[in-house]
Amino acid sequence: MLDASPNDIAPLSPYREVKPVRTAWSLHRDPQLAVRELADGLQHAHLGAVLFFCSTEYPLDALGHALDETFPHVPVSGCTTAGEITPTGYGRGCVVAIGFDRRFFTVAPTLIADLESFDLLRAQCLVDKLLGECRRQSTVSASDHSFALTLLDGLSSSEEQVLATLDAALGNIPSFGGSAGDDNRLAHTYVYHRGHFHSQAAVVVMITTPLPFEVFSTHHLRPCAEKLVVTAADRHQRTVHELNAAPAAGEYARLVGREVARLSEADFAQHPLAVRIGERFYARSIQRIHADGSLTFYCAVENGIVLTAMRPTPILADLEQVLTELESRLGPPTLIIGCDCFLRRLAIEALGEAQSASELLRRWRAIGFNTYGEQHHGMHINQTFTGVAIGHPRPDATDGASHGA
Amino acid sequence: MAPATAREQALVDENRRLRKVCAALIERVESSGAAEGAPYAAFEHAVLLAEQVRERTETLHHTLDELGQVNAQLREEIHNRASAEQRLIEAKQEAEAANSSKTRFLAAVSHDLLQPLNAARLFASALGEHRVPEDARHLVEHLGRSLKDVETLLGTLVDISRLDAGVLKADVAPFEAADLLDMLAHEYQQIAASQGLALHYVRSGAVIDSDLQLLARVVRNFLTNAIRYTARGHVLLGCRRRAGGLEICVGDTGPGIPEDQRKAIFLEFRRAENRRVDQDRGLGLGLAIVDRITSMLDHPVGLASRPGRGSLFSVLVPYAHRPAGKRVQAVTEAMPDDEPLSGRTIWVIDDDLAIREGMQALLGSWGCRVMAARGPGVLEGETASPDVLIVDYHLDDGDPDGLETASRLHERWPGLPVLVITANHDAALKHRARMRGFGWLLKPVKPLRLKMQLLSLLERT
Repeated sequence: MLDASPNDIAPLSPYREVKPVRTAWSLHRDPQLAVRELADGLQHAHLGAVLFFCSTEYPLDALGHALDETFPHVPVSGCTTAGEITPTGYGRGCVVAIGFDRRFFTVAPTLIADLESFDLLRAQCLVDKLLGECRRQSTVSASDHSFALTLLDGLSSSEEQVLATLDAALGNIPSFGGSAGDDNRLAHTYVYHRGHFHSQAAVVVMITTPLPFEVFSTHHLRPCAEKLVVTAADRHQRTVHELNAAPAAGEYARLVGREVARLSEADFAQHPLAVRIGERFYARSIQRIHADGSLTFYCAVENGIVLTAMRPTPILADLEQVLTELESRLGPPTLIIGCDCFLRRLAIEALGEAQSASELLRRWRAIGFNTYGEQHHGMHINQTFTGVAIGHPRPDATDGASHGA
Repeated sequence: MAPATAREQALVDENRRLRKVCAALIERVESSGAAEGAPYAAFEHAVLLAEQVRERTETLHHTLDELGQVNAQLREEIHNRASAEQRLIEAKQEAEAANSSKTRFLAAVSHDLLQPLNAARLFASALGEHRVPEDARHLVEHLGRSLKDVETLLGTLVDISRLDAGVLKADVAPFEAADLLDMLAHEYQQIAASQGLALHYVRSGAVIDSDLQLLARVVRNFLTNAIRYTARGHVLLGCRRRAGGLEICVGDTGPGIPEDQRKAIFLEFRRAENRRVDQDRGLGLGLAIVDRITSMLDHPVGLASRPGRGSLFSVLVPYAHRPAGKRVQAVTEAMPDDEPLSGRTIWVIDDDLAIREGMQALLGSWGCRVMAARGPGVLEGETASPDVLIVDYHLDDGDPDGLETASRLHERWPGLPVLVITANHDAALKHRARMRGFGWLLKPVKPLRLKMQLLSLLERT
């Protein structure tokens, strides 16, 4: 752990005086008052766009209306969450927002209203339109200095195809994002675009900036020896009926060492399963157990895939290491937009480390939300912290963004 | 057949499950890579793509790192070279400053020496015009010759400094070697004869490419040295046609130059030993000038010598590829008649009293009426125009310079012949004087040249 915050130990820069982003959050239950509080923190002459994350506890129609009325001239994008990351760390039942200064950011959002019919042609048109908007307004090359943020309805079960299609169209432009949550109710999740919340939809935000940035993803899981083969699955429902030709819940319970009836989300967080592709492991997080002994996942499954039992390592140490590496490349971050799997938050809370996590997130200037799944370079993944770190303006501001995995 | 025991039943169950696992795996393996668009396949596809991107990114970063290192090395190299260059520039500037100050010093010294020498020459010349007893006339002639020698030496010093400073520029043109050598042979035959030596001259019809004045200086130096160091016998002036050019040779039957001295004699103030005691004049600057001139003209110099038998100096001059220009006029040494100058009014403006008095004596001996003034102010009241104005370029600090003074008087009396005298070798000044139609004479003023200039100016009016 660092003893001082990165801002204390970083060399002072005259460019620090101009803040490329402003952040605000509100605990007000009343949507009007909450949005008013956001506006107090974000409004200024150069406000170019707003990105927000909110709890589903808000009356969403009223919140959307208030946002539309309060920020009539700038694009506002966002989604519902399973917990928020505010300027003070983890929050719950609140709304948090980022205001982008148009002198540093060109922000072009759009909505994919129909996920089912989103094909490569539509993806290409969408990317061209967003890049075109960024090109018109930005001083730097849009194709070299942009990243795409994706916010998807987390219960749509369409993430994989939409992301793979979008990623093909994005080409070299790095992308990341999160699946919207609903405070672990698993009922309805929404994305927000131009005054309205939408389900079965996705928001894509193209962001162009001369500031250095890097898109990243990390997790703290390591493989164990046990393997489970999916022998019966419903790919469309992301549901596994059998593991090793036995009822899935029973096999998983046997692996965890609990009775099926006592399995909870905390177990899912502590004992994740993952598929191995190449040298890497990708967590497949369990969403719920059905009465018939089947398991539904947060991401795609398929008959015949081999699931590896995973064990967690210290979660905050892993995150801090990744953020430290980013700082060494970008300098102290001006902002991190983080998509943090809600199962990680459950695990952290179960370990009693919520306070340390909040401290860590606050220190690294992370704003974001707890997701039902993360997106990274077209991959739909689980139990990761995925996001973008944005550095400070440099004297030679056109000296480019740094991209990487 | 139903299983007989519980153990058999368990094995049957396990066998069924294993078969199912196998079937699932087989299905998975066989469907992998099929572009069926299923969700998991899309995910797997995205992972593989991302993996490729990651590998390429790593390769790229690796390459960038290497490039960065190479760049850093290059930058360091550039920095080193830049600082080395800076040091060289500074060293060069120091050297140039030193050289420039040396040249300025020489020019200043020469100028300061030329002023009194000029006056002394004028006095001696004027004295020669007076009727004096025969034995005194002899002394006056010696005095004149000595002053002339000093003047020549001083001129040589000035020339060396000008060569070193790069002021003197070669004016290369084609001419016939005979134009130059005939004149020199004629001149030095008399000098050689006065020393009891015979000068043999072999003519050449070759056309060569060189600066006539500078090449003349080279050959004169060879001839002067040959006569100076040869006690008896003869001196040879001739040419050899070589493949690379015409080799102009000056040989003598003198003492020769030892092997170990052959390089040193081309340095300043160095002379071969064994010189003739009674002819000991000069500072040993001749060959130093030869060395500078021939380097500038890129004419190789040769020296062959056998101690006790004699020496042969030569310079290799390239043949001309164009026809020769007009013939060079040999300067006649005869003093023209005083008649045209007699009774003329001449104004002399010079801030140096000795020069004014010298001029008055010399011009007066030619029958001129001289009005000498320190500056232009004294002559302002004069109503009648003089026949000629002689003005020094350098006047007192408060006064306008000679050119300006002459220009003002010229406005008053258009057509007034003006002769500007100066020790300043600046070509721009000379050009300015010429543009205004003024005569131009360099110090030290030689009586013959002065008379020629005055006659030429009066002829024009």
